[in-house]
Amino acid sequence: MKQIIACVKLVPAAAEVALDGQFRLKRDSTSLQLNIADLSAVEAALGLKEADTQVTVLSMGPAKGEALLQELFALGVDRVVLLSDRALAGADSLATARALAAGVRCLGEFSCILCGRRALDAETGQIPGQLAAALDIPAVTNGQQLEKADNGLSCRRLLETAVETLTVELPCVVSLCEYSYTLRLPSILGRRRAKDKQVEILTAADIGLVAEQCGLQGSKTKVVHVDTKAPGLRKCSYCNPEALCGIIKGVQ
Amino acid sequence: MQELLLIQGTRPDMGLQRKAAQLAETGKLQLRILSVAKAEAATADDSAIAKGLVAETNNARVILAPATVRLRCIMPMLAYRLQAGLTADCTGLEITETGQLLQTRPAFGNSLMATIETLSAVQMATVRPGTFPADPNGEYPQTEEWEACFSDAVKCIEQQRQTGDQGITQAKIIVSGGAGIGSKEGFDKLKAFAHKIGAALGASRNAVDLGYAPYSAQVGITGATVSPRLYIAVGISGAVQHLAGMSGAETVIAINQDPKAPIFQYADYGIVGDWETIINQLEELL
Repeated sequence: MKQIIACVKLVPAAAEVALDGQFRLKRDSTSLQLNIADLSAVEAALGLKEADTQVTVLSMGPAKGEALLQELFALGVDRVVLLSDRALAGADSLATARALAAGVRCLGEFSCILCGRRALDAETGQIPGQLAAALDIPAVTNGQQLEKADNGLSCRRLLETAVETLTVELPCVVSLCEYSYTLRLPSILGRRRAKDKQVEILTAADIGLVAEQCGLQGSKTKVVHVDTKAPGLRKCSYCNPEALCGIIKGVQ
Repeated sequence: MQELLLIQGTRPDMGLQRKAAQLAETGKLQLRILSVAKAEAATADDSAIAKGLVAETNNARVILAPATVRLRCIMPMLAYRLQAGLTADCTGLEITETGQLLQTRPAFGNSLMATIETLSAVQMATVRPGTFPADPNGEYPQTEEWEACFSDAVKCIEQQRQTGDQGITQAKIIVSGGAGIGSKEGFDKLKAFAHKIGAALGASRNAVDLGYAPYSAQVGITGATVSPRLYIAVGISGAVQHLAGMSGAETVIAINQDPKAPIFQYADYGIVGDWETIINQLEELL
């Protein structure tokens, strides 16, 4: 395998996030963390790495994510590319996949792209499929236990009532479930090597996109209203354990 | 006439079928139901199915599908090929008389519901399975079987049926824990209590993310949708993500230390206090 690309997203660390006037996430005001499922993608990529393999991490988001991404070098990641541009902000999954695909095309030949199966903030889980469609390659979603196989990769796919063992041809996209891998810790040697490496930041223009294709402008969905209450409001009567006991016994 | 295309898979959602019929009528669209169940059985390659489906969308104004694992891979691929907007895992759908679809889904991890409009000519959405009630007497157009697909770019070598996840969706009583439980040991205690009263153990996404409980126990938008007779939420704050998965419960009991926790607004009965003390008391009483 020549190059393995791991896509990661930096998501707001706080449970409560602020929205701006157009219902977009205010990404400037909160601190960031690596999306949990993406940790598995990075670890799986490092696990598949051979002597001549380059592991590249691709991300899109605000420039302030650079510091967090920089830490990935110490784990053995060879290259980190961050797509960062005001024009890319506010993208729905379609515009995000378009930008990531344009970014991937700038990275050269690759064997596979690994992603987390969904992000903790928007939770659409649509990027892996859309990215694969943009690049016209197959995808497996909800994956676990990725291994090298004769003509590509083998992995498990978690379905609602079954677990499948699949083989998939290269190049391909595989999305991984949360906790399918535990991300390694940096080694001392890794930390030393990381010092010479730098996150590369690319703008929309760098990856060949014009403003109409990106961000809010390039999106086909629009949030028109936000409600702070979920449906299903009930009237709560506060009671003591004795009363609860009666309710539980009534159902048993 | 423009179509509302409903794509069903191996796990058809009859409630969504009923909803689709209503939406088609209001939006003055022709309902067309296409099943890809045979294609799903014939190939594990979702990209091949999505590619093949493009030819079926010439008259489509709206494309809906239940948010099963495979359709949640197929629909995004189809959406990209059509350059159409796609909303994931909706829990509400409405349509205007001009056929503009309004999609509702929980958003951004806290207590927010977003209503989304699609700007492209084709409007696509996946819908949380089990969101809409089915109507066994409803009359629908005949489902077309679609199987025009073969690919071995992704091949299934082995399939193992799993029954573990069934427990939570079919349980009569569910005791569910959140981040407020505080530890894995706390969850063991909650599990023991659940077993004692014949209940299944559930968990919020926060609890699963913290490693307190396995993903198979997760209730909510990215976990299971449950509708037990009794749902006991312990140490769960009540994020929309979670509420979307349990609002179908007949009776909801909330136990939480924080009197301001949103879960109390979605519960029939509540106790404010330390969960461990309350569970201990309940164990003695039962």
